[in-house]
Amino acid sequence: MLCLENIRLVHNPGTPTEVTALDGLDLHIPAGQFVTVVGSNGAGKSSLVNVVSGVHRPRSGRVIIDGRDVTRLPDHARAAWISRVFDNPLAGTAPELSLADNLALAMARGGRRRLRPALTRQRRELMRAQLATLGLGLENRLTDPVALFSAGQRQSVTMLMAGLTQPKLLLLDEHLAALDPRTRARVLELTVRMHDRLGCASLMITHSMRQAIDVGDRLLVMARGRVVFDAAGPDKTNLTPSDLVDIIAGLGDAPTDRQLLAG
Amino acid sequence: MHYLLTDTLIAGLPLLPVVMGIYLVIRIRQDFDLTVDGSLTLGGAVAAVSLNHGLPVPVAIIAAIAAGMLAGLVTTTLHLAFRVPVILAGLVMSIGMRTLNLRVLGRPSTSLDAGAGLFGGLSGLAPTAHDWIVIAILAAFALVFLAGVSLLLLTEVGLALRATGVNVGMARAQGVDDRRSLALCLALANAGAGLSGALIVQSQGFADSSTGTGTLLAGIGAVLLGELVARPGSASRVGRVALSVLAGTVLYRAILVGALRAGLEATDLDGITALILVAAVAVNRYLPTLNKILPRPRSRAAPGARSSPPVRSTASRRPEPVAEEVG
Repeated sequence: MLCLENIRLVHNPGTPTEVTALDGLDLHIPAGQFVTVVGSNGAGKSSLVNVVSGVHRPRSGRVIIDGRDVTRLPDHARAAWISRVFDNPLAGTAPELSLADNLALAMARGGRRRLRPALTRQRRELMRAQLATLGLGLENRLTDPVALFSAGQRQSVTMLMAGLTQPKLLLLDEHLAALDPRTRARVLELTVRMHDRLGCASLMITHSMRQAIDVGDRLLVMARGRVVFDAAGPDKTNLTPSDLVDIIAGLGDAPTDRQLLAG
Repeated sequence: MHYLLTDTLIAGLPLLPVVMGIYLVIRIRQDFDLTVDGSLTLGGAVAAVSLNHGLPVPVAIIAAIAAGMLAGLVTTTLHLAFRVPVILAGLVMSIGMRTLNLRVLGRPSTSLDAGAGLFGGLSGLAPTAHDWIVIAILAAFALVFLAGVSLLLLTEVGLALRATGVNVGMARAQGVDDRRSLALCLALANAGAGLSGALIVQSQGFADSSTGTGTLLAGIGAVLLGELVARPGSASRVGRVALSVLAGTVLYRAILVGALRAGLEATDLDGITALILVAAVAVNRYLPTLNKILPRPRSRAAPGARSSPPVRSTASRRPEPVAEEVG
């Protein structure tokens, strides 16, 4: 489904601050697979997300989604295949627009936007039904600007928006990091449910070793712009957070305090 | 009093399209486009020249709208091709278009031929009847434009435009091409300016190469006044946005006409515009404080909301705080 071939991404090329963010990265994720990614700061996790989503164009290598080479397509042109949820829970919604407008924007994702009403009675009903599955009472607040919602509510809405079309890939960039523990558990559960319902591939970046092990089918450790550890099945479930910390530390990358604490 | 009303409407209604356009740029896209100064003059010049060449009124008006729209697209192209900020691209356009407009007009000022234009057939009427018919025709054009833009904002295309102004990253993630949205926004704004120019020239009976000077600032003044009066609050309340543009434009013009009636000179009006801007900004800025002191009216649009929608002020709009990361 998602295929990255020999991706090289360099920030600030030709300047003293030149950084190789991705260094010959190869990755294949089949349809339906849920992949978690851990790694220390600067390992290339965010660069991976940005190359897959189309925010950054790699210097060399190819990005293939569903057999189609999308390397040269900008992020908005990949939205038909990719649903993104950001690390900042406020980043995935437009605060001044109403909840209904935000959802309507996501409903038209990937298709051609036309000169027809963005909000119809049918769409509102569909929105209410979808919002009710969150169990947050948001189905009665369609006209409220999203700015009035809490970070957890907004991240839940962003998750919901990600599932309003049928994406091939769910791209989750540390989308739980800024949430409080209870909200995090709820949004994580929503994420897993969404993945199962959509049947798409999912790529989840996380800081939490525990999450990385407990969630999904396959676990990747990144360091210095490459995948250095790749485990699935029992190999993955038998891992412990301290194993992962050892792997990262063994590479000479310092695990952050947060990763240690999150273990 | 009666003249205050008719003068306000005759001077204010033709401005509605351009103020709506300016609203789109400064509030929905959060940018400044000085091109409107040039396109308003251009619209007027194109309309005047077309009419004086004997073209029918609808053709002259459509040509004026098209000329403005084209100017907006040139600004968009400058911005996208050379990556200069929109405000700079618009500044360059507004300077360059002074020359263009003089070329189109052929001389600094041109009168419309007798009997030409929308109001050419009304010359035989009594002054009061004449004024009110002019007002009705101007209102029809202005309100159709306002309604058209409002309806457009409610479509999927318009929603995408509203979203790019608030959160570009999110809009792109949802598949919105923000460059296309910008082109649409500037094309609409300058089409509005072109229409305004055509209406002004026909109601005045002459076209001048400086008609559009100061349009952007006047429009900002009208937008700020309108927001004080109608409180659109959120870009999702499109009807409120249109109402606020209408109220702001009429109010702005009423103040200027009132100032003239009170004995000020026409040359004082720029000063009045500046004062309106400062006053509107100040009130917008301190309104939250005032709201805390004064009893707050209940917010109708947000039942169940825990607080009333934030007041739109330029200072509090842009960045949102990044949530603190928790372990």
